[in-house]
Amino acid sequence: MAEPLDNWEAQIRKGWLEVAILATLWSGRRYGLEIIRALEERSDLIVAEGTVYPVLTRLRNDGLVDAEWEESDSGHPRKYYSLTTSGKRRTLTLAKHSNEFLAKMTALIEPLLKEIKR
Amino acid sequence: MTILDQPLQTRVDAYLMRLRRSLGELPPEEVSEILREIRSHILDRAAASGEMTDEKLAAILKELGQPEDIGPLYQADAMVARARSSFSPSLILRTTARWATMSIAGFVSFILGLFGYGMALGLIIAAVMKPIMPDRVGAWASNNGFTIGVQDSAVRSVDVLGWWMIPVGLIGGAMFLIGTTRFLRWMLRYASGKRLPVLRAESVN
Repeated sequence: MAEPLDNWEAQIRKGWLEVAILATLWSGRRYGLEIIRALEERSDLIVAEGTVYPVLTRLRNDGLVDAEWEESDSGHPRKYYSLTTSGKRRTLTLAKHSNEFLAKMTALIEPLLKEIKR
Repeated sequence: MTILDQPLQTRVDAYLMRLRRSLGELPPEEVSEILREIRSHILDRAAASGEMTDEKLAAILKELGQPEDIGPLYQADAMVARARSSFSPSLILRTTARWATMSIAGFVSFILGLFGYGMALGLIIAAVMKPIMPDRVGAWASNNGFTIGVQDSAVRSVDVLGWWMIPVGLIGGAMFLIGTTRFLRWMLRYASGKRLPVLRAESVN
């Protein structure tokens, strides 16, 4: 049973990662590791930290985020990401869809939750 | 300033080298940007975990994931992004071939692409060969049906185009070439609008 479930979880994570990353940028610009820390703290989405960076690169190629290098106190530069105007629009759209999706899903599995608690 | 001991530095470099290798054919400026960002991540993690040891660095790299799993994630995206706006049949067809391993739509597009480019190539070759082998190259109509190309025994078949083979072959070939390219680009745009599944699920773990 373990393997099909792992595969299902991996698919789910992959699908949610984009929304989650965009959501972490809503409050302001962050660099890669800050995004990863926020996601590790507030979600179960990250298995391999390195998978976040290709998504950020794609979001940038799609014009949803801007990226700029900045020197830091730590002595090496960091790449900061921030939402563009179209990125903000997309984030709101995805948030809306996610919310509707989750509400329906929760209602659907609600009866099962009672079974599990029993 | 984060300073790693020489052996640890060597280990980070080895990791980044593996990543560079798995990035494949990305443009050099993208490659150095990616390596710079991942190095920055490792140094930040190292700075946050106090005195650096071999075990701590190993844990940081493990959390990051296998370079061979991460590299292709960049590659698939970049390849699709370039192919969408490219006119190179080779790049477009290679990208579609990759897509073909992921979905039915990709597979069908790839087969249609092969057929289209095959027709284009066949027609152009026929047009070019006509002056060289006028008796054997043409559009042949016979009892067996209709073929365009080289016919071994021209007996009992009729060359319906004659010298028209040259303009028909060139124009028809060009139309297939352009049509197939436009079609595949359109399909790739459609696919990336729906987000290509760039990675098999099991290699995320």
